[in-house]
Amino acid sequence: MATKKLMTGLTGLAVDAQPHHTLSVLYGKILRCLQKMPPDASYRKYTEQTITERFNYVKTEPDREKLEKALNAGQLEEVIKQAEGELTLARKMLDWKPWEPLVQEPPEGQWKWPI
Amino acid sequence: MAATACRGLFSIAKHASKSVVPRVVGTRLCSTDLHPTIRPVNAVQRQTLTEFGQYVAECLPKYVQKVQITAGNELEVLIAPEGVVPVITFLKDHTNSQFTSLADLCGVDMPSRAYRFEVVYNLLSLRYNSRIRVKTYTDELTPLESITDVFKGANWYEREVWDMFGVFFANHPDLRRILTDYGFEGHPFRKDFPLTGYVECRYDDEVKRVVVEPVELAQEYRKFDLSAPWEQFPNFREQAAAEVPIKEEEK
Repeated sequence: MATKKLMTGLTGLAVDAQPHHTLSVLYGKILRCLQKMPPDASYRKYTEQTITERFNYVKTEPDREKLEKALNAGQLEEVIKQAEGELTLARKMLDWKPWEPLVQEPPEGQWKWPI
Repeated sequence: MAATACRGLFSIAKHASKSVVPRVVGTRLCSTDLHPTIRPVNAVQRQTLTEFGQYVAECLPKYVQKVQITAGNELEVLIAPEGVVPVITFLKDHTNSQFTSLADLCGVDMPSRAYRFEVVYNLLSLRYNSRIRVKTYTDELTPLESITDVFKGANWYEREVWDMFGVFFANHPDLRRILTDYGFEGHPFRKDFPLTGYVECRYDDEVKRVVVEPVELAQEYRKFDLSAPWEQFPNFREQAAAEVPIKEEEK
């Protein structure tokens, strides 16, 4: 690393000293959480795809700026925020089980507009 | 006549300084025969939104009942009332959506339906510069799950919906009236709430205080027979929103 990153420029978002390590830990947790879902669940399929893709970039690209460019999702600190959100979401999804069939059909004419 | 006047203004404006330009744009819009104002069609955005709508429906088949896209490229996800918190959390936290901003939350009352109230959530994704609208339904007695755990900003919006429509939000930290006066009774945005209200208050000089009395109308109730002013184009009634096919055969 040539120069140490001093700030993200975003209020309340501090610079992460080891973004690669943080991201690897988070992505590992997300992938392990997704393992518990049924393999044909669409949420699991799509999330595994995006997370694995990002994880591979993190593993292969040690440079901060090049990695940010490759991920194309903002600064690494923001990517960490996104990963944290995805992890909490995946854990909640285990409870909600959204891959099950529709819980309730709408009553007749409920979504008809104009009435 | 008006058109020639507009054209005259326009030609003057071309030679005038830049400060005149906004006024001239206004006068151009008022004429009909120069350039009709046509909304540009953004096919790319429409395609992206349609695909995203299908993506949401595929990820959450348990809750999504219908996905539609309006004529003005607004994506609407119509969900079962059980799925409010899961769907909103998914849209907020999922990497591919990131609708981290709750733009608005409001209610609609349609008394002819089985579930008369619609609750509408408008979300904004700053990352992908995109908006989405989530709609669900409820009636006077069925509580809806509060989303204050997901969006702190929903607190006052839900209080407002409770105040105006009487939709009860379960697990809301502080569900009180927010807009109406102290001691107000009823929910004013319901269609069966009279336009005049039930009570009126005035300062009474004799008792030296504000008194609240049942409303007394000087004129008897009149039934105005007005056709709806927004239905000038009945041919386009049904085309307001196009349904996005949710691929269920694939599973």
